[in-house]
Amino acid sequence: MKTTSDFPSINERVPEGVTNDGKPIRVMIVDDSMFVTKQISQILSSEGFDIVATAADGAEGVEKYKELYPEVDLVTMDITMPRMDGVTALEKIIEFDKNANVVMVSALGKQDLVKKSLMLGAKNYIVKPLDRKKVLERVLSSIK
Amino acid sequence: MRVEYINPFVEAAFNILKEVLQTEVNREELYLKKSTQPVMGVAAIVGLAGDVEGRVLIDMSKETAMKVASTMNGEELNTIDELVKATITELANMITAQAVTKLHELGFKFDLTPPAIMTGDNMQVSDLNVEALIVPLGLPQGKIEINVAIKERVGA
Repeated sequence: MKTTSDFPSINERVPEGVTNDGKPIRVMIVDDSMFVTKQISQILSSEGFDIVATAADGAEGVEKYKELYPEVDLVTMDITMPRMDGVTALEKIIEFDKNANVVMVSALGKQDLVKKSLMLGAKNYIVKPLDRKKVLERVLSSIK
Repeated sequence: MRVEYINPFVEAAFNILKEVLQTEVNREELYLKKSTQPVMGVAAIVGLAGDVEGRVLIDMSKETAMKVASTMNGEELNTIDELVKATITELANMITAQAVTKLHELGFKFDLTPPAIMTGDNMQVSDLNVEALIVPLGLPQGKIEINVAIKERVGA
């Protein structure tokens, strides 16, 4: 728990996106939609997560993950993207770092690809439309 | 065109709009249009090819598109910029994904193109050899029309 200062507040709570030692959890968002990237970024930032990178396709995501390693704690990965899809990108990230925390973000109707992703090592998945509760729940369970 | 093709799209649009906009959605009377018809100003188009073929348009005025995108982004958006287009694209993605899941369950096999967004004034869409079924959905942000022109492929 955070120690209180001179003016303790009854509303004070520890944000979800911070580790026990007070460091923000570092996130990379891989999604080709500006809207979805913004949405995930807003939800996670408001809970204290640190968005360290975004990528607009799987290839860029893999590249940035390797570049930033080990400074990324969690990746959100869209499934359908141009150039390289999210399942392939997941595979390449896990190949590089078998402990990577990747959460898949999927539209409805991609159960087969979600299942495949989980078998390949994705920690969890979120089905769109996204909302705050769903995103936080799935993201947090994947890093615990 | 058979009505069973449009219902999954209308139901999906109804559910998704209700969820992402947190509002009531009014389903208005279905109507049928032949050959050429006007498009309102911002239209997301998704193509279908397989056992059935054709296209789905999610059509609205520029004002409605900006209002819908503003609600979805939680901020005031006053121009049809990249973010508004990305938001309407994502809306079309979610609607078609849900509808297609339903149609696949019903046994129809086909693929989809990613949504493309068209914007402009005085646009028209023409579909040869297939009439379009249109269901308007009333929202506080304005009207969104789900406009579907699909037919069975010859020989399928």
